[in-house]
Amino acid sequence: MVSTHLGASADLPPWAVALACALALASFVMLLFEMRGRERGGLVIAASGLLAVASLLAAVLRPARVSARESTVGARVVVLADASRSMALAGDDRRARAEARDGAIALLRRGGQNARFVVLGFGEGAPRPLADTSAAGAKDASTREPHSDLGAALRALATSPEERPAAIVVVSDGRLDDPPEGASESNLRALGETVRVPVHTIATTRDAPPDASVRRVSTAGAAVAHVPLPVRVEVGCSAGLACDELRVTARELRDDGPPAELASGVAHVKDGKATLDMTITLERSGSRIVEFAVSPPPGDAIADNDRRLVTFDVTRERVRLLHIAGRPTNDVRALRQWLKSDASVDLVAFFILRFPDSELHATQKELALIEFPIDQLFTAELPSFDAVILQDFDGAPFGLGKYLENIRSYVRRGGGLVIVGGKNSFVAGGYGGTPLADVLPVELDPSPGAPSADVTALVPQWTQEGQDAPLLEPLREVLGADDLPEMSGANVLGNLRPGGVALWSHPTRTTPDGARMPILAIGEEGDGRTIALGVDGAWQLEFSQLGARTGGRGLGALWDGLLGWLMRDPRFEPAHVEIVGGCTAGLASTLRARVPPARSATSSQAVVLDVTRIDAPRPPVHVEVQRPGDARSVDLPLPPLEAGGYTARLRVAGGTTTRHDFACEAGGDEWADSRPDPDRLRALAEATGGVFAYAADAGKLPLPKPTVVSAERHVTPVAPPWVWTLTAAALLGAHWAARRRSGLS
Amino acid sequence: MLPRPLAPLVALALALASALAILAPHPARAFGDVGAFDPRVLLTGTQVGPLRESAPARWAWEMTRRTSAPARLRPSVVRADDAAIVEAPFVYWSGDLPVAPLTGAEIAGLRRFFALGGIMLVDDAAAGDQGEPSAFGRSARREIARVLPDSAPIAIGADHVVFHSFYLLSRAVGRVEGTPTLDAIVRGGQTQVLFSEHDLGGALARSASGMWEQTVVPGGEAQREHAIRLAVNIAMYVLCSSYKDDQVHAKYLMKRRAAAGP
Repeated sequence: MVSTHLGASADLPPWAVALACALALASFVMLLFEMRGRERGGLVIAASGLLAVASLLAAVLRPARVSARESTVGARVVVLADASRSMALAGDDRRARAEARDGAIALLRRGGQNARFVVLGFGEGAPRPLADTSAAGAKDASTREPHSDLGAALRALATSPEERPAAIVVVSDGRLDDPPEGASESNLRALGETVRVPVHTIATTRDAPPDASVRRVSTAGAAVAHVPLPVRVEVGCSAGLACDELRVTARELRDDGPPAELASGVAHVKDGKATLDMTITLERSGSRIVEFAVSPPPGDAIADNDRRLVTFDVTRERVRLLHIAGRPTNDVRALRQWLKSDASVDLVAFFILRFPDSELHATQKELALIEFPIDQLFTAELPSFDAVILQDFDGAPFGLGKYLENIRSYVRRGGGLVIVGGKNSFVAGGYGGTPLADVLPVELDPSPGAPSADVTALVPQWTQEGQDAPLLEPLREVLGADDLPEMSGANVLGNLRPGGVALWSHPTRTTPDGARMPILAIGEEGDGRTIALGVDGAWQLEFSQLGARTGGRGLGALWDGLLGWLMRDPRFEPAHVEIVGGCTAGLASTLRARVPPARSATSSQAVVLDVTRIDAPRPPVHVEVQRPGDARSVDLPLPPLEAGGYTARLRVAGGTTTRHDFACEAGGDEWADSRPDPDRLRALAEATGGVFAYAADAGKLPLPKPTVVSAERHVTPVAPPWVWTLTAAALLGAHWAARRRSGLS
Repeated sequence: MLPRPLAPLVALALALASALAILAPHPARAFGDVGAFDPRVLLTGTQVGPLRESAPARWAWEMTRRTSAPARLRPSVVRADDAAIVEAPFVYWSGDLPVAPLTGAEIAGLRRFFALGGIMLVDDAAAGDQGEPSAFGRSARREIARVLPDSAPIAIGADHVVFHSFYLLSRAVGRVEGTPTLDAIVRGGQTQVLFSEHDLGGALARSASGMWEQTVVPGGEAQREHAIRLAVNIAMYVLCSSYKDDQVHAKYLMKRRAAAGP
């Protein structure tokens, strides 16, 4: 719009214009004061004086015609809308809080027609444009953030290179991660000072729903296998639910059966909240999911937050091993010495030192032999071991057969099992067709008279998987270009079982399927891992010409990798897996796998992911992608999952498997405490100079006025300066003449 | 006698069988025996064989008869400067004559052996009845001190795992009664050299006729039995290291020793 008006000459500063006007006005007032009471010629003098002063003012101001294209620019108002999951909860009048949020934003828009609104959603990190909630399905998209970090959003705005807002309006239920509940006024003020504009706040919700929930689970330290872990569970009851006492249980989700109860207790609720200290002990390392749940009273409005699924990354400080050897040999000696050299290993060893028909030539009292406590070891004690090593051991004479079922269950529940070869191992030990064979990575021929050993000398060959496996990387480094030592023979092992991976193979002998017979194979069964080593000459990595060249380090390198893999040491995992941004029930997520570089950067590799539900039978999710050879990170899309615990098993190029357990929660932290917190929003507004309002009054918020901006400004003098000067001189002369004629000087 | 026409066929068959036997892969040692206890005889300098030639084999035989441990009934012999010194974790060094100073190659070979964790038994075959070391015993100690200059022998008694690795023994004996203790060099917590001034091999050795070669003094056959037990215990220590010192065994053995009395 083009507008035209008169103005002073452009070379005059505003203060000069004001000064000139003031002086002119003062001169005229003085003239009128002078003319007070004068009857003769007073009117003429006053009129001429007025004209003279006006012309003099015009000579100074030199009026000009100003033509300009002007526009009114509304103030930039940034609306930070809470986009966290808590906005999906029911608010006042059973409407979703997100609806109240969107209604408040609409009122704001209507009330501030001239304002330029920028609506951003805040949750985690910097705020992002809020999804258009009018679009189909956008309601869900605007309530997906796993956190509600207003502090991070304000700090991001303060450092943004974009135009600084004239005001900020926060629309939320007040249940924020930052600023936290009970934040001091000074902290709130400091938060406002980062953006240097008032922060107005709008509360979407007044009333809390009737809800009992697990609000928070915290631990005093890291989870270590077998070590009691103190856990503090905070529970709450709101809106007058009758819950003086809440029963709290902690259960570990297991894929081999129902959840195992770890601890339970009763929380005594006072003022709507309670804290319960519990101690849980996780026996297995790796990522483990524990459910903390309350038994809600009748009337509980939100069932999804009655339980929390917490993933613990359980590490090991010590490894408790059971080492059983069928007879003492150099191989037994070597393994034992390596195990004893590791200060982190608690070793319980039993070696069979005599046969029933051994000619002892001594009484029992003269012997240092004790009874093999097989019943105790394979019943009550078995779960306390992280792994069991059976070396060259035929358990049949000792009645092991009736405990093989226990060993199978032990492995499926997360235990480790290593069978080391020898003349009494595998088929020779009668393990074919037994429950123990069900958990091995290789098949064993159970038929009577099946060959148990191939006595041909051999040098084990590395398979492709063995060359790529991180668990054998230490050994490969030690050996360099050397071959493995020659072995005097090998136990006869069968085909690989599903999930089994051969790392070494026989150079000539094949399995019934025609593949090279595995010499060293690894596999997973249920939650546990197993290793089959079909030779008894690993000690020659230490005592041999090769051992002398390598300082005997090969043996330690081999067992370090094998035992480390068995115990899920991250160093020996073929990939490191994480769920990007966590998993929310009902939403698609991404699993990111960090993998070592492929041998060939030009060829791609298949990455296979299987996701299974831990705590309920559900069809598994199968995902396959191709990984470029040079890619160190692979993203695998996961479909929306139900709330619960899951196990992801990832395999790259048919190699060994990486397992990662994770939890999907419906609401997570955001639903843990369903109460709105308008008081926090009110305090924030007051501390930053803003105004607080409920959603219904959002349109009444005082927003900054718009700014007028001129464009294409043209200034044309009304008359040349000499005209104004001449006119002023003439009129001053006329005024002087009028005064003289009236007798004034 | 074969009929004439068949003779060439039989000869051909025998030749073929011989060729196949040579060409067919065969293990140097049977599977399952490669890790067996091998009382390897160590030779140094001018030594050409053990003084008690049958003792190592008898030692192995006693092991297989009395225990579950496999043992080489035909023990091997290795020279200190032979590369094969590092191919097994045990050597048995005995003699009755002073040993010549070890050559540099012998010292290097033995150092490689000990660096890998090998164990050596030095058995003085000419020890006096009271355990006085012979010229062999003294010179062997001198040479071991050159191989392991940073370690000195200490006496080990009935508390040491060697004395309860299979049999419960209260003292050391051999062909001679000697001192109740053995001397040992302990490195990195592991006993790597055992010195016996008891002629253990003398108690084990048998003649070709199957008779004991040496008379055992002063205890006779009961002492020989205890010497054999000590040999078994030493072999068990080689194969099981400190297994019998594990806590689970220690408490049983303490009870048993207490019941047996001093």
